[in-house]
Amino acid sequence: MSMQVDTTAFAGTDPVYVIAEEVFSSMIDGEPGFLRHWDGDPPPIVDAMHAWVDVHGATNGRVLLSTERSTADDLARALLQMGPTEPVSDEDFADALGEVANIVGGNVKALVPDPGVLTLPQVTHERPHTDPEALIYELPLDWRGSLVVIGLWRLL
Amino acid sequence: MRVLVADDSRVMRQIVIRTLRQAGYDWWEITEAADGAVALDLVRSEQPDLVLSDWNMPEMTGIDLLRRMRAEGIEIPFGFVTSEGSNEMREAADAAGALFLIAKPFTAEVFSDTIDPFLA
Repeated sequence: MSMQVDTTAFAGTDPVYVIAEEVFSSMIDGEPGFLRHWDGDPPPIVDAMHAWVDVHGATNGRVLLSTERSTADDLARALLQMGPTEPVSDEDFADALGEVANIVGGNVKALVPDPGVLTLPQVTHERPHTDPEALIYELPLDWRGSLVVIGLWRLL
Repeated sequence: MRVLVADDSRVMRQIVIRTLRQAGYDWWEITEAADGAVALDLVRSEQPDLVLSDWNMPEMTGIDLLRRMRAEGIEIPFGFVTSEGSNEMREAADAAGALFLIAKPFTAEVFSDTIDPFLA
């Protein structure tokens, strides 16, 4: 995929932010207002979890979502409408975080011409390899005070 | 009304079912399938009234499920609920015989606005 994102449909706004905002407001929070751009330089993510989908086509790309484990737990609880201290099984945790990456990735894929095929989501504690020079775009987000980073990467 | 929900994500199946209830379809009898192959078996054995399926699934994708159903002469109404809603996918879904394609993220209003016209 060329990874040239078509921004014309978003009236000059950040299309990845628009996608993330829609995902969080409709499926995670149930209402808008809990996701915004991260203010200032984002801190390093401690005890990180990573979820991603790849797009295999003319050019290969990756949509990578990274956040702290505790934030990922909260995302899973929110998706499943669980209580704030309710334990999340490993299976539901990976499923939920992967699905967030899958929805964001699917919508990002729809923005690029000749995008190819979307892979099934993967979730790991270890960060998947990406070439530092292959970063296309990175969006640090503040979800209820916690850092969530969405990155678009070219796979070399 | 018996409805089959096919998605490899258990979390997403729960969200789809929850959203169906929020959209007013709380009287529907839901069966779940974790991939297209399981869904095809259930379609053959259970003959549901409607299939709501993800597109990208292991074993058998949603579009392959739909094409297989139609090739076998199974004309059960079929709709996609998927993370990808590009024009190309909508055209492919339409050509294969899908009634609609709901792109994630979705709301209960999107569900009712999309599905209601086909229930009349």
